[in-house]
Amino acid sequence: MKLIFEKSIKGRDGYSLPQDLFDNIKIEECLPEYVISKDKKLLSEVSEVDVVRHFTKLSKFNYGLDDGFYPLGSCTMKYNPKINEKLASLSNFIYAHPLAPEETVQGCLEIFYDLNKLLCEITGMDEYTMSPAAGAHGELAGILIMRKYFVDHGDIRHKMLIPDSAHGTNPASAAMGGFQIVEVKSNEKGTVDLIELAELMDEDTVGLMLTNPNTVGLYDEGIEEIEKIVHNKGGLLYYDGANINASLGIIRPGDAGFDVVHLNLHKTFSTPHGGGGPGAGVIGVKKDLIPYLPTPNVAFNSDQKKYYLSDTAEKSIGMVRAFWANFSVLVKTYVWILSMGPDGLYNTSETSIINANYVLAKLKNYYKPAYDRYCGHECTVTGREYKKYGVKTLDIAKRIMDYGMHPPTIYFPHFEPYAEETIMVEPPESESKEILDNFIDIMIKISDEAKTNPELLTTAPHNTPIRRTNDALAIKRAILTYDDELKLKDELKYQEKDIDF
Amino acid sequence: MRYIPSTEEQKKEMLKEIGVSSFEDLIESVPQCLRLKDKLNIPEAISESELEDKIYRIAKKNADFYSMKPLIGAGSYRHFIPEAEKFLLQREEFWTCYTPYQPELSQGTLQSIFEYQSYISRLTKMEVIIPSIYDGASATAEAALMSLRLTHKNKIIVSNLLHPHYRETVKTYLAPHETEIIDLPYKNGLVDMEKLKILIEEDVASVIIQSPNFFGSIENMAEISEIVHSKSVLLINVIVESMSLGILKAPGEIGADIVAGNAQSFGMDLNYGGPHNAYLGTRKQYTRQIPGRIVGETVDVDGKRVFVMTLRAREQDIRREKATSNICTNHNLNVLAANIFLSLIGTEGLYQISLLNTKSAHYLENLLLQTGKFERVFDCPFYNEFLLKSKDDVSSINKKLLENNFVPPLKICEFYQEENMNNVLLFAVTEVLSRDNLNLVAKILSK
Amino acid sequence: MSNKVIENLYYTKSEEWLKVEDGIGTIGITDYAQDQLGDIVYLEKIEKGKKLKQDETFTTIESVKAVSDVKTPATGEIIEANVKVIEDASIINKDPYGEGWIAKIKIENKDELKNLMSAQEYSEYRKE
Repeated sequence: MKLIFEKSIKGRDGYSLPQDLFDNIKIEECLPEYVISKDKKLLSEVSEVDVVRHFTKLSKFNYGLDDGFYPLGSCTMKYNPKINEKLASLSNFIYAHPLAPEETVQGCLEIFYDLNKLLCEITGMDEYTMSPAAGAHGELAGILIMRKYFVDHGDIRHKMLIPDSAHGTNPASAAMGGFQIVEVKSNEKGTVDLIELAELMDEDTVGLMLTNPNTVGLYDEGIEEIEKIVHNKGGLLYYDGANINASLGIIRPGDAGFDVVHLNLHKTFSTPHGGGGPGAGVIGVKKDLIPYLPTPNVAFNSDQKKYYLSDTAEKSIGMVRAFWANFSVLVKTYVWILSMGPDGLYNTSETSIINANYVLAKLKNYYKPAYDRYCGHECTVTGREYKKYGVKTLDIAKRIMDYGMHPPTIYFPHFEPYAEETIMVEPPESESKEILDNFIDIMIKISDEAKTNPELLTTAPHNTPIRRTNDALAIKRAILTYDDELKLKDELKYQEKDIDF
Repeated sequence: MRYIPSTEEQKKEMLKEIGVSSFEDLIESVPQCLRLKDKLNIPEAISESELEDKIYRIAKKNADFYSMKPLIGAGSYRHFIPEAEKFLLQREEFWTCYTPYQPELSQGTLQSIFEYQSYISRLTKMEVIIPSIYDGASATAEAALMSLRLTHKNKIIVSNLLHPHYRETVKTYLAPHETEIIDLPYKNGLVDMEKLKILIEEDVASVIIQSPNFFGSIENMAEISEIVHSKSVLLINVIVESMSLGILKAPGEIGADIVAGNAQSFGMDLNYGGPHNAYLGTRKQYTRQIPGRIVGETVDVDGKRVFVMTLRAREQDIRREKATSNICTNHNLNVLAANIFLSLIGTEGLYQISLLNTKSAHYLENLLLQTGKFERVFDCPFYNEFLLKSKDDVSSINKKLLENNFVPPLKICEFYQEENMNNVLLFAVTEVLSRDNLNLVAKILSK
Repeated sequence: MSNKVIENLYYTKSEEWLKVEDGIGTIGITDYAQDQLGDIVYLEKIEKGKKLKQDETFTTIESVKAVSDVKTPATGEIIEANVKVIEDASIINKDPYGEGWIAKIKIENKDELKNLMSAQEYSEYRKE
């Protein structure tokens, strides 16, 4: 499809300017010559009609959650309620300036405050910060809190334990937090090896980062034991809440002894993913860690009946961003929790766990499960069996697209020998039995195709707007802007085929 | 529950197919002693109509911000957003999809990111654009970390006129690396050049300068660049009001090595501080050290031009602890917003808005000086924000403005406690303030 | 799946091979390793003259979707890096045991070589 630049016609415009452009003032009177750009910065020149058609067409090359099943493991692609969007877009919220006087933003602050209380109850923690913009941002903030806690106690520690099954963000965040990463192996049950953990946990270790259920979708069986091992050496337990969709109303990380928790509001709490954000990665902590939370936090003055931004924490790690939070994401989360209530939250976890186990039970004769146990809210099977037909898991995923669905997560998690060629399916509570049955039928059909007509898979997808991409060429050419393309155009050996329908 | 389609009957059926008699069998591995005994102590679910009432009631506790005109910026600017942008943003294909890991099903998102990278590259005259870091402050911190990796040094100089939140965020991010952070003071509203000349040494990784700076003044970036580059030190140019690029020289023209820009002005609502978005720009030779996602052009097996996430081996999901950053979910939908916004305003619109913001800010400054109630604090060129010292008490001024439906300017003493900053206000002007609005402000403040 | 093994080379469990001639060792990665990595796009700069201990990482190979450390199978000093491969890393995919060699090292301690696998031992290791 054409780029917006290729639709540009000199002299077209898509924007209306105010009548009064202050023409009586000369720019030379305002600014010295040395700061003014000599030429205009070239964007594109298109009309509003062009823009609307361009982006409408682009949208049709995307597959969204409202189009159908989106079973990406570890991503919790659940339905994004429409009322959330409406209420987050109220004009009193979206036009609120972050530095407006406190008395004019009492509504915003009330949501901060109330949501904090709700999340504390849901997870068993003592206080939250709303600052972090995404899960990984929350991890970094959480790790900096742990670091500051130890520094403050004169107990300098250098290592962080992270299971081999962890999301890549865990080791990356811990490294940004200045820690040396020590990997803990998973056992044949897919969970943390307690003997190895006990050996690795020492007094130079700040603690353990754990996702529970873990990234394979399994509950760590020895959670009480893990808690003891880490706390006995004075360490802290970090809970990666990426998978908390399996725990609502069942078990709370706070009760299980976790000291720091981050939640991805764009996963379990129903706010949309937006093609890669914005989400929010709020973090909750136990009492002892409250002084280290990022600044500011919202407090309530009960005498004056007023909410205010409190910036007094001396031991705080400081700010992790400009202003306060991804506020509109908080509104959506707040609305979702209020629409679910305690029963709805329990129902969420119950249904998602049943869904995942149902898919696992129905698929296990066709795709070998990575672990022979019941799973949490997502199940991990493998495509290993089809290697002998020359079919990789990637090919299976691409073939799923031909049936009008988004494939599950593939090749994650990956750790030998249990989790290779993995296919991780997460069917959240918003997916009905009929949708799952349809997916299961397709998966079985593909397993048959893999044996009888492997080429159908290795050349898939066939029915998508584009087909398999040459990712090595992208790196080699490094065309990162339209101007790069123009520069290299002569060398390009291909003719652009427009994919307009 | 309207978001959970499965009926109790269906769930029973599924449990049967799984081969268990109850849900309990599936969660055996969750220790009984840690289970919640009672249900969560949160309010019972309410209906959609009750919900609407409740949130409207809370929203009403805010001021009626739509009709209030802002005289404040300080890192967050209210610009007009065309309805076409807001309408397009609501397309579910953009709104509800995941990160574009499967390019066959996400060309819409990927092409849009590529177009945006192209726009920002032209605006900043930088070769490589990372389209989406959470916000200006975290982007500045990422830029600082990148400069440490590129130079293998551990000392940076930060302008005191960098947005205070950005300064603090840089400090937070660098704390674990024990980086030496040197505060570069200001003089007459601009960075102190003489001081910079003294501070600049071979062991410095980078110098971080915001322009227009937090006081609104436009720094002499060419001169700063010359001083910084007299040693092998990187210059990080921070842009908090990116609309200024419509008229001001691009960072690429004045020798910046890394640009960190807050993109909020490009079609993003104030939203009480977020989500907004920021970009990073740099030179091609530094590509291997950039953080975050980037999109490149390639072909598919049919030879069609297509777009993919590229240079991925730097990222956390592949490189884990050796990744250039931990950033994963970012602010992609805001990239789309900015791309649509820039497409709508186009070459001429960007230039005109930028011009108009400059002129109307100067118009207001002049009006306020004429009231005799204000005087200039510094005498330097500014874009759309400026400082004025009031002869009256600023709290009473702000109260008056609030009563007249203006979001008052920032009391600068909230961030700068120097004595001469008492009773000083930081005004910001954008196109949402008409000449009539500005005349009214001057009238209110002349009394 | 590609899994070629060449006779008369030493192999490591981390998928490097070593050819020894007159006290000079040539290092590369195995056919299996290049196949697992997929399209190789980048080989990190190699520091000539650097002294390494057996098993020490001296460079990194990047493919489109993976990154892998390359370790030296023997202790010694790097005396040469394959400039061609640094320019175009995809050569490793095409010819991992030939043109796609990575670096040459002056072997310090021949005794260490007995820690490495022979072609036959490696073949068996791969089958497991």
